[in-house]
Amino acid sequence: MRRRRSAALLTLLAALSLVAAACGNNGGGDGKATTTTEGAKAVKGGTLVLGAEQEPDCADWISSCAGASWGTYTMGAQTMPRAFDLTPDAKTVPSSLLAGEPKLESGPPQKITYKINPKAVWSDGQPITSSDFKYTWDQIKNGSDIYDKTGYKDIASVDDSDPKTVVVTFTTPYAGWHDLFGGFYGVYPKHLLEGKDRNAEMKDGYKWSGGPWMIDHWTKGQEVALIPNPNYWGSKPNLDKAVFKFITDTAAESQAYKTGQIAMFYPQAQLELTQLFTLPNTKHDVNTSLSYEALWFNTAKDPLTDANVRQALAYATDRDAIVNSLFGPVQPGIKAINGFMTPGNKQWYTSEPFKKYKKDLTKVDELMKAAGYTKGADGMWAKGGKPATLAISTTAGNKRRELTEQLLQSQWKEAGFNLTTNNTKAGTLFGEWGPQGVFQIALYAQVPPSTDPGICSTFCSENIPTTANPSGQNWTRLASPAIDTPWKQVDKELDETKRKDLVEQGQKSLADALPGLPIDPFPDVLIYNSAKLNGPIGHNFAFGPFVNMNLWWCTGGNCG
Amino acid sequence: MLTFIVRRLAYSIPVIIIASALVFGFTRATTDPLARLAQSRDAAELLPRERHRLGLDKPLVTQYTRWAKDFVRGDWGQSFISRRDVKSEIRDKLGNTVQLIFWGILFSASIAIAVGVYSAARQYSALDYTFTGLSFLGLSMPVFWFALMAIQFLIYEPTVLFHLKQPIFLSVGLHSANDHSLVDYLRHLTLPVLTLSVQLVAGWSRYQRSSMLDVMSSDYIRTAKAKGVTRRKVLLKHGLRNALIPLTTVMAIDIGALFGGLIITEHIFAWPGMGRLFFDALLSGDTNMVLPWLMVTAVFIIGFNLLADVLYGVLDPRIRLS
Repeated sequence: MRRRRSAALLTLLAALSLVAAACGNNGGGDGKATTTTEGAKAVKGGTLVLGAEQEPDCADWISSCAGASWGTYTMGAQTMPRAFDLTPDAKTVPSSLLAGEPKLESGPPQKITYKINPKAVWSDGQPITSSDFKYTWDQIKNGSDIYDKTGYKDIASVDDSDPKTVVVTFTTPYAGWHDLFGGFYGVYPKHLLEGKDRNAEMKDGYKWSGGPWMIDHWTKGQEVALIPNPNYWGSKPNLDKAVFKFITDTAAESQAYKTGQIAMFYPQAQLELTQLFTLPNTKHDVNTSLSYEALWFNTAKDPLTDANVRQALAYATDRDAIVNSLFGPVQPGIKAINGFMTPGNKQWYTSEPFKKYKKDLTKVDELMKAAGYTKGADGMWAKGGKPATLAISTTAGNKRRELTEQLLQSQWKEAGFNLTTNNTKAGTLFGEWGPQGVFQIALYAQVPPSTDPGICSTFCSENIPTTANPSGQNWTRLASPAIDTPWKQVDKELDETKRKDLVEQGQKSLADALPGLPIDPFPDVLIYNSAKLNGPIGHNFAFGPFVNMNLWWCTGGNCG
Repeated sequence: MLTFIVRRLAYSIPVIIIASALVFGFTRATTDPLARLAQSRDAAELLPRERHRLGLDKPLVTQYTRWAKDFVRGDWGQSFISRRDVKSEIRDKLGNTVQLIFWGILFSASIAIAVGVYSAARQYSALDYTFTGLSFLGLSMPVFWFALMAIQFLIYEPTVLFHLKQPIFLSVGLHSANDHSLVDYLRHLTLPVLTLSVQLVAGWSRYQRSSMLDVMSSDYIRTAKAKGVTRRKVLLKHGLRNALIPLTTVMAIDIGALFGGLIITEHIFAWPGMGRLFFDALLSGDTNMVLPWLMVTAVFIIGFNLLADVLYGVLDPRIRLS
């Protein structure tokens, strides 16, 4: 009897402690007021808990084990010093690491001179110097496991004779130089890494920093926690700690937000999110990102070898209707993109080239007849008794893409095309069907690593996969000098006005030759609790929305 | 007994070898660990270099035999994707899954036995019918749906209804950002354990009920009753003890399978365990992680199946293992 009473008492105590914990206060803060750059009153202290829908694989940002955007969002952008920042309106500006705009000499040879901010130091107090730039370049250029050597392999030398001046000399002109010593990589500390196995030192997280935050701990599968870098020379964080919880299931992440376990999250756009928009104290901000989805035509497969057929398909497609069905409720007024780029890339986007491709069945008839096709009794196009059969492939299980396929099937049927689906796993589509040209029409996204407009790797004829170059990225297999000329020049032209003209010319060539049809820009969605979280919260398409988290603060110094 | 155990273990070796070869073949055929690198602007140079570095350019048989030799020597290698040490990764995740399984089994077994005994003792009573209905509901309910409903109705709704500053239970991971106390751990543990237990309780309680009914209609129970032994003693000492024997073996088999089978529960509750590890590794084609995972899981399944057989012999002396 006594035992049973004790058990009951224990149960009651446990239940009470759970309720007490629920009613209690979590986190602290000294409540001291300060002023942010936004002019509003910031409060020091508190722990901010955020949702992260992907966990990075490793934290050695230049290595082939990295390359995931969420690595940059959660750790890289907060801890790695970088030469350039991206403004909310997608403009590249010198970061606080530099003392001003670098000096560009067109050459030849092309030369960039960076002046390092004298205040810039690593978290251990050691100054950030030109030797760190040189070490970074050396690791990337000569490393055996590097994710992307683009640009760095075109550098002939990095002069570090003056610790606060870096002179970079190129072998060939490289127009995308703004992405160097920044982007997803940053600058590496020579004094901490030289002579060591860089990857082993960094892959599981590192204790040094050249940004406003330091990695406190990264518990795999659970969370990564950041604490302020006491030696950061810019605005020091208001928060005591920021914790990213890895919640890889979107429905579970939404529930975690609803139940107050995370104060902010950055989900992939989907219709279900609209349910959260009406929650009390919830702010949502939706903007057009740099990523986009397109139809990719394999121009080596009939009937897509004929440009008339490709154009007829473009005129058979009501792209705005598709985009509206996919994202309209999340981002009202969203429109189809008119280039292989999105309006999010304000500096380079051009809205004209693909504008002509609106649903027009008369044009479809004209183009198909010009290609030698006639409509059969069943209303479907055929040539020499052979129907213009089409098959589309995308990543199986992706609901949004499957919905796009259904909409296309319906629209194209009306225009006289029978479209079947042939979906497969992402690994097969990107690992085999793309490089080997198995697909006929594919639907997938492009995620540009920066705002740089160069897309020669996707469309130039030299990048068509061959036996000698099996990993070429031009899976449309369209070889066209009209496309090659402007896009090759875009990668070399240093004058931005001329470069803009070349981009326009390149997009126009793509619209005419039509190796693919751009469809939807991805909305960039931020959802946060405005009763808990304050500060200049907004989008950053390269470094993620948390990049200026050092300026945020919790209401009353407590985000709990 | 020893001969039986050794023979069972020997039988399991070819099973493990065949299973690992099949998984290796299927994983390689359907996923590419380098697919994620296709987004690199430098993919043309990077992909062949990485393929060579990871040995993916070798014939499949060579890749498999090389992995198997290293594994047997105790070198479980590194993850293709994260380059983390596979052995320590699996050890960490196994520890987290064991926590879930331990509490889940404790909770499920207690409830299932109590419900089963009550239903058998009060057969065709209103509560028996209720438990039967609930069991079928539990068995037919998808785990992911139950988990999301549990979050909605045990976390969100009470928080809104009672204007709580924080929910009573939590659904993200093992602990909160600033709180590693036991209470916080229990707040995180409750819903995953509940989710894991729903189907176990439903299945085991039905099993316990039918087993109890079988035992209660036995001659020796009738004899005990005729001798004037109290109903409580008949039920618990003579009935329950014997009725537990088949349930024990079923539980042992189920527990073995749980070590690799909590994918959905771990996914929804962001619980960093074996199920989530397998899911992520399989999707990314990380055979270096998938195969040791399979080995560990297979060892548990085989071990617990063996335990079930051994326990059966130990608990019921009429059964001889030969």
